[in-house]
Amino acid sequence: MNPHPAPALERAHDDETYYLNMGPQHPSMHGVLRLLLRLRGELILECDPVIGYAHRAHEKMAENRSWIQFLPNTSRIDYLSGMIYNLGYCQAVEKMASIEVPVRAQAIRVIVSELNRIQSHLLWFGTFLLDIGGITPFLYCFDDREKILSILERVTGSRLTYSYGRFGGVSQDIDDVFIEQTRSFLTRMRKQAPMYHQLVHENVIFRKRCEGVGVISREVAHDYGITGPTLRAIGVDYDVRRAEPYSGYEQYDFEIPTRTGGDCLARFEVRIEEMEQSCRIIEQALDALPDGPVKPAKFIKKLKPPAGEFYFAVESARGHFGMHMVSDGGDVPSKIKLRTPSFSLLSSMSEVLEGTMVADTIAILGSVDVVLPEIDR
Amino acid sequence: MSYLGSIFSGFKTLLTGLGITGKEIGGKSVTELYPHVEPELPEAFRSVIQLVRFEESGSHDCVACMQCVKICPSTCITIEGGKIEGIKGKRASEFEIDFALCSLCGLCIDTCPTDTLEWANIYDDAGQEREWVYDLLKPHEAFEEQYLTTRRAIEAKEAAEKAAKKAAVAKAKAEKAASEAASQEASPEKSDTTSEADS
Repeated sequence: MNPHPAPALERAHDDETYYLNMGPQHPSMHGVLRLLLRLRGELILECDPVIGYAHRAHEKMAENRSWIQFLPNTSRIDYLSGMIYNLGYCQAVEKMASIEVPVRAQAIRVIVSELNRIQSHLLWFGTFLLDIGGITPFLYCFDDREKILSILERVTGSRLTYSYGRFGGVSQDIDDVFIEQTRSFLTRMRKQAPMYHQLVHENVIFRKRCEGVGVISREVAHDYGITGPTLRAIGVDYDVRRAEPYSGYEQYDFEIPTRTGGDCLARFEVRIEEMEQSCRIIEQALDALPDGPVKPAKFIKKLKPPAGEFYFAVESARGHFGMHMVSDGGDVPSKIKLRTPSFSLLSSMSEVLEGTMVADTIAILGSVDVVLPEIDR
Repeated sequence: MSYLGSIFSGFKTLLTGLGITGKEIGGKSVTELYPHVEPELPEAFRSVIQLVRFEESGSHDCVACMQCVKICPSTCITIEGGKIEGIKGKRASEFEIDFALCSLCGLCIDTCPTDTLEWANIYDDAGQEREWVYDLLKPHEAFEEQYLTTRRAIEAKEAAEKAAKKAAVAKAKAEKAASEAASQEASPEKSDTTSEADS
């Protein structure tokens, strides 16, 4: 018997309904998430996401170590877009302590972040389709993703948990081989895109599983603070890169793809288009890559940002990732509150999944792209 | 769309998918047969850290300053060190890293003041115990005696040179004092030339 039953279990229920535990170890569950579903037949009457299985106390850890010692943690909050989180944290601290970042380092940050975003979307693409029954695209997109991982591994030395950022720059400069590899990847990615479109987007089974399924309304999105591709699929063109540009994003010409459907298909299309926009940003950044240093001459290890509160946000692959930092003027953070996009997405599921079928749960959860370690933190 | 029409278009899309798969069957395999094929490691590859063996000195240059111990977020580095007879500064006598705790962030490498830390290229190590300790000084043990001998010789030589220099300076000073004493007895023109030479 579970000593801590979830609230839904305690509620009165009639004979017609029953409970189904989806997860925490379900083959199609993303990480260790438990969805407590109250069902009548196939119909979901209530959904209660139970989280906390991957809780690692990142926020508490931040209070027990110096500003720079928190760096390796940031890549592990969301292991699929670790680069964006890592560099985001660096930028937040830099702004707080007013550290100047060389222009070359800023451009490199944009390039690697966008590569990371494409990588994350490719993985989502593969696993989402795997969830709804298509094995083939998964194999193709993992081949493409592998290319990005190799490119990033060459400069950062790591494939997922990069720790590439340093206060005032990045740990290593990129070279001509990196630029050449990235360019050839962009060419390859653009060649693959029509193939993916043919293989997936026009597929009749895929469309039947996605069209009109899991519609998230504007009200729900507003109430739960949904951001990222899921919000853009509802028709709101909110993107932190455009709304509050950081790291020189204002120099690059890119579009914010939106759809109005708000269903799984709309989310799918937004992400696919986002990959192309990321390619465009990388191309422009590579073309205009300035020369110069990539990190300060002296390694910044001790840092005492002025006392006060500070908020900084970046656009991760899943949406608005914000850091609320409190400094007491010492070299240890007073508090770092992490606002992660997947948490809002998963919270909304109790409302979105109501009235849908069990089989659609997989499609809906897959299409919003949640990463559990980022929710539990 | 009519019933038959949707069946037709459905089949068409399925066949398109099959066609793409068919094309890829003939393509080149991209799988790396890992244990049989050794992976190509990039230069920046991260695994456990190791101490650099410098060519000039023939050994590492760890001065046991504890900077890496202080910055390590996982507190996985243990260093002990102290003075060694005959050489200046401190020298590490024990340098261990518990790799089971390491998060591979590289802050120790960046913070090292003597640049004596670097990534090793170990990718296929495995352990059966919870403790996974690497003794970083072990590969350097064989060179330690040689290093100390050379170092002592160098420092002895430096000390000797310094002493010689000091002696030379003292000698020059004594000579100067003697010549000054002599010049006081001599004519004023001569003392002018000596002061010019001094400057």
